[in-house]
Amino acid sequence: MVEAVESEQNEPQFKEYAIEEFLVRSEPYYRPVGDELELFTAAYNQHIPVLLKGPTGCGKTRFVEYMAWKLGRPMTVVRPMDGGRPAQELREGEVRVPLVTIACHEDLTASDLVGRYLLDSEGTRWIDGPMTRAVKAGAILYLDEVVEARKDTTVLIHPLTDHRRILPVEKTGQIIEADDRFLLCISYNPHYQSALKDLKHSTRQRFISVEFDYPPADIEAEIVQKESGCSGEQAGALAKLGEKVRNLRDHGLAEGASTRLLIYAGRLMTEGIPPRRACQVAIVWTLTDEPELQRSVEEVVSSIFE
Amino acid sequence: MSNAPFDELEAELAKFPPAVLDAYREALEEMETSFSSEELVLWGKEGAAIAGQTVRSWESAVEYYRVCPLVARSLAFPSFMQWARCGTYLSQDSPALAVSFFKASPSIVSNLRPQYIPRWAGLGRSLYKGTWKSSTLSGRFFEVSPDLIRNLPFWDVEVFASLVEALSYKSYDVAVECLTLGKDVLPVMGREREAFLAMCRALSDGNWREVKSCFEVAPKALQQIDEGQTSRFLKLGERLTKVGIRDTARFLSDGSQALGQIPQSSQAHILDLCEGLLAVTPEAVSCFLKSLDGVMHRVTINQLDTWFQHGVQLLKDNPESGIAFFKVESNTSESLLETLSSSLELDRVKGVVRLYCRALSGSPIEALSTQELVRRNIGWVDQDTATTDGTKVFLPPVVDHYQNKEQNFSWFKVVATHQVAHLEFGSFDYDFSRTAHLFEEERRYILERERGASQISDDVLVGDLEPDGQMRAYTDIGRFLSLFDDRRLAFDLFTVLEDVRLDYRIKAEYPGIRRAAIDVQAEALAVRPEVEDLPLQEALVELLIRMSLDQFNNLPIPVDFREEATMLAQILVVLRDVAANVEDTGEATLRAYEIISRLENETQPEDQWEPEDMEEPGDFSEEEFQSLLDKLQASQDSSGDAGEGDPYDSPEPVDYRGDFKPEMVQLLTKLQMDQNQQGEGEPLSQEMLEQLLQDSAELELDAEQGDINNSTSTFAQNIMKEAGVPPPNSQPGQGYGPLLHDDDQGGELEAREPKAYVYDEWDFRANDYKPRWCVVKEKSLDEGDPAFYNDALKNYSTLLSHIKRQFELIMPETFRKIYRMVDGEDIDLNAALEAAADIRMKVPPDEKIYWRRNKIERDVSVVFLLDMSASTAEAIDEGRHTVDDRDAPDDPVEYMVWLRRRREGLVRRHYKRIIDLEKESTALLIQALESIGDNYGIYGFSGYGRENVEFYVIKDIEENFTERIKRRIDKITPLHATRMGSAIRHAITKLENQDSPTKIMFLISDGRPQDRGYSREGVEKEYAVHDTHMALLEAKRKDITPFCLTVDKAGHDYLKEMCGDMGYEVLGDIWALPERLPMLYRQLTA
Repeated sequence: MVEAVESEQNEPQFKEYAIEEFLVRSEPYYRPVGDELELFTAAYNQHIPVLLKGPTGCGKTRFVEYMAWKLGRPMTVVRPMDGGRPAQELREGEVRVPLVTIACHEDLTASDLVGRYLLDSEGTRWIDGPMTRAVKAGAILYLDEVVEARKDTTVLIHPLTDHRRILPVEKTGQIIEADDRFLLCISYNPHYQSALKDLKHSTRQRFISVEFDYPPADIEAEIVQKESGCSGEQAGALAKLGEKVRNLRDHGLAEGASTRLLIYAGRLMTEGIPPRRACQVAIVWTLTDEPELQRSVEEVVSSIFE
Repeated sequence: MSNAPFDELEAELAKFPPAVLDAYREALEEMETSFSSEELVLWGKEGAAIAGQTVRSWESAVEYYRVCPLVARSLAFPSFMQWARCGTYLSQDSPALAVSFFKASPSIVSNLRPQYIPRWAGLGRSLYKGTWKSSTLSGRFFEVSPDLIRNLPFWDVEVFASLVEALSYKSYDVAVECLTLGKDVLPVMGREREAFLAMCRALSDGNWREVKSCFEVAPKALQQIDEGQTSRFLKLGERLTKVGIRDTARFLSDGSQALGQIPQSSQAHILDLCEGLLAVTPEAVSCFLKSLDGVMHRVTINQLDTWFQHGVQLLKDNPESGIAFFKVESNTSESLLETLSSSLELDRVKGVVRLYCRALSGSPIEALSTQELVRRNIGWVDQDTATTDGTKVFLPPVVDHYQNKEQNFSWFKVVATHQVAHLEFGSFDYDFSRTAHLFEEERRYILERERGASQISDDVLVGDLEPDGQMRAYTDIGRFLSLFDDRRLAFDLFTVLEDVRLDYRIKAEYPGIRRAAIDVQAEALAVRPEVEDLPLQEALVELLIRMSLDQFNNLPIPVDFREEATMLAQILVVLRDVAANVEDTGEATLRAYEIISRLENETQPEDQWEPEDMEEPGDFSEEEFQSLLDKLQASQDSSGDAGEGDPYDSPEPVDYRGDFKPEMVQLLTKLQMDQNQQGEGEPLSQEMLEQLLQDSAELELDAEQGDINNSTSTFAQNIMKEAGVPPPNSQPGQGYGPLLHDDDQGGELEAREPKAYVYDEWDFRANDYKPRWCVVKEKSLDEGDPAFYNDALKNYSTLLSHIKRQFELIMPETFRKIYRMVDGEDIDLNAALEAAADIRMKVPPDEKIYWRRNKIERDVSVVFLLDMSASTAEAIDEGRHTVDDRDAPDDPVEYMVWLRRRREGLVRRHYKRIIDLEKESTALLIQALESIGDNYGIYGFSGYGRENVEFYVIKDIEENFTERIKRRIDKITPLHATRMGSAIRHAITKLENQDSPTKIMFLISDGRPQDRGYSREGVEKEYAVHDTHMALLEAKRKDITPFCLTVDKAGHDYLKEMCGDMGYEVLGDIWALPERLPMLYRQLTA
């Protein structure tokens, strides 16, 4: 770990961690809605890969983060860098097993995940990719929006997700057997699917699927209040707004207002932005560009907020 | 042949200047091929005759000989000589004229029928009056003739020439200028030319100076007006001219500009108005047109009528003020516009209101005008009050309570919110057996006390008849209301108390409209009748209404009944709680009824009223209520009959709350439900329904407004229709019956002919397939005219280029760099470095170290299924389509081309059907698909009955795109029904044989699936939807991506069920289809 100089107040303060060395010490806020905690824990114990399905901003990533914490696995965020020194001191009783999150994009290839040889002054050096590191370290590997990744990544996902639990590293001619604590978890938003980008059944059927949706109004209000720090009344109104706006999902809106957006609106309110304006910028204008729909949603906003 | 005549002729010609003879000789050579020698002699002699006319006419002769060879190509000898003689006469009058005539001739004779040639020459001659100026004019006429003749029908040329002649009497200069302008202006005009010329003719008698400016402004002016209307517009100009209005040119330019500002569909209407105005005061027409633009910015076309009529009335009374009115220079005009423009029409905000209601209620509610509901005639009769029937919210068509639009809109919002609240907070969910939240249960108690314990048992079946033959109740609300002797009083109480509950709830849940709601309530309060004037029972109900409108202070209370009033207030206040449900309203109604019904409905003396504050009436307690009741009962018993006093009359309704008809809504819902689950229990007959309606308090209320007895049976019939019940007196075996019967019977079918295929059909009731149930007959569509296809491309040329661009954009996506190739355009640095590292590590390096731009194999197969059902013949509302005129080119030549093309478009445009748009979209789509090379098939489907599902091949998936396909598109026509399931299954078969990795099926329809025995209204609607859903699922299982696109605006309700999680889209605006279809396809595959 390299800590930034803290001598002066004005100095930017940041911390750098190696991939599997970043530990989240505090509990991420997660409000369970159904039995997802039990399901995930059971899947984890039984080495069953998990597919999280659900619309954007409903808490999939937060859920994994929370599960990593709960299962004693601190969070690691992928950031390419070298170094293998232990980063943070472990507290007593803490298991040091990271969670590796990778946001998939269309240029993400297998070797980006597995690793590659690098040239340096003395010759060449092999560097493990994030997936290899996760497999070795026994982490929870979270591939966000997995359909976006290139098709060759399935070559890696398949052997890792069945009984074999192995990662073949072609370059080094090795096969890595996953650590006992390793778990692969992917997320997927069925609303985005285009005919050309869909999960193959052979891939899908290697996971259990946990469905996520926006929480019921009372729970959502609780979440919004907790996350944004706005008043209970505002949070309740925001949750109500979320519910009403989602009613329009099949009538012109491609996606309903996500919990994340509601929280944004709540945060703006906490900062003193008038509620109607906060909803306008955080929700109405974010959701749609169509004037009539905007107007309709704004009318709902103006009914709910004074 | 003898040369003598020729020598003779040459000798004669030699008398003239040598140019004549030279010209003759030169021409002769060429002429010999056209005419015989006798004819040649005559020809030559005519030249000599011309030359001999006057001193200078040899010049005409030279010109004559010069053009002869050209003219002779087009004319036979007799006509030729006729022509030549015309020249001779002209040269007699003026050699210069003849020269012009001859000069123009070569291009004239090829375009003009020979018999018109003398008339043409005559036209030119008539302009010549022997003066120098007239000869110039006439010469000019011959000069422009070629252009005129080529582009105009001859009679128009004649009219034009006579116009020029008429002008020439006034001024030769003007005549010449108009002649020159006319050459360019007239050809561009279409049917309106005649009208234009007539108008100019009218002008030339009076304000002849304006003709020229008319010619100048006309082209630009007329282009702003819809072609269909130009003639009318010009005729209007002509009539204005005739009554002596000056400034016609101004009228042309200003008027057309004003018309150009408004939608083409409204132009006809404006012209109607203008014509009306012309009959009253012609001067006002141009004032009206001049202010039109400004006025139209403020009001809608409907409102314009109101404004206009007012103006016409003024004109009749006092022309001066009328004209000021139309100039919008009078207060009357201004204030009327103000009022009109601040009013809000439902149509304008319908979309927003609808989405707003849907968001609030979470169900696919429609927002409709109340007129719609009244038209259905199912028991609602009031046009002006909002209401709901459980699935739709009805709002008044116009709101003009306030001085500005915002306030009027918030009134709409308050009203709509109140109606939606009925749905959102469950007014119609009243359940007799559900318990209230806040009140103790009393229904059972009342039930037993009123009816006697023995008669009532738990299983009183809703819908059962009472022992005395009376209908008990079909709905829960009805059952509740039947507990009361005075149903009307009970219903009024229920209404006001339910409104208390809802208004309170709305204010709690939607603080944002609290302020607007308070305003609306305050206004409603202001128009309430005086409590003191009402008899006791009604006064107490009125008190409740006032409290429901938030008036708790300063309420007039009858001193003798303070206790009762307080108790009522206590009951009412209980409902001001978010936890209250509709059953609480029921309980409150029971209690309020108990009190009020025990009082005598007598008017109280004036001094018996005292103002009082009811802000805190105290908590409601059952004990106090009971003791009050006992007291009332005792006094009632002691005074004997309770029947004294006036009969009870319902209170004035509260405007913004609209019509509340819970019983009707429950009835409709229940009827619909009963229809959907047939066989369970006895369905309601029309007689029973009529009886029910007669008993209903909701209809009794309306009885004052119309003769209810006559209408109950109409209502009943309409309600049945609304609920989807087959018409009465349809015995099994008649009407709808046999079709279903027929269809259900019979068993599996066989494909007996070639190209016929048998498919199973899904029966959701049996939860199983009906084996070999439908026969799909594949047919190739007839071939028609490819013009439709080409026209479609032409008419949509702008859109087409846009679509093509969009599709071409897919291409670069596919041409992206691919790394790690064995060979390629250049070295892939990443891969090369890795390889170098590998080599140093003595690991065999990867040889894939190049990149290249590679066409990623785009391999898509798609099948388009077009709905060819009869309903696609429906005409589309023309008014919504506006042709974009802004792209009219400035260049006159291009403009002419553009105009002509547009005019051709117009011929087809007069009436368009859904299917026409489907066809046009197909044409555009084909263009797009051809550009990216996807594998595609286009099919149409229709049919009648399960043994006759017609599947038309427009383009088979393996077929190449040829001229024949274009021809087939022309032949797509609306046919019969839509049995979607089988058509989809056949399309699946088509796609299955393709080995593309991506397969797509695109279904384009205009409504729900329907066919004989497939979708019978009400009864089997579900069947068709389920089967289609299953067919789509089958597609999905076979790795085909289905997508449904419908233009049915009501599509959301069934499509969701039909498509499940598969893609679908409802196209709100059918005109968007040609644009949307290719774009959707692009989205789906990109």
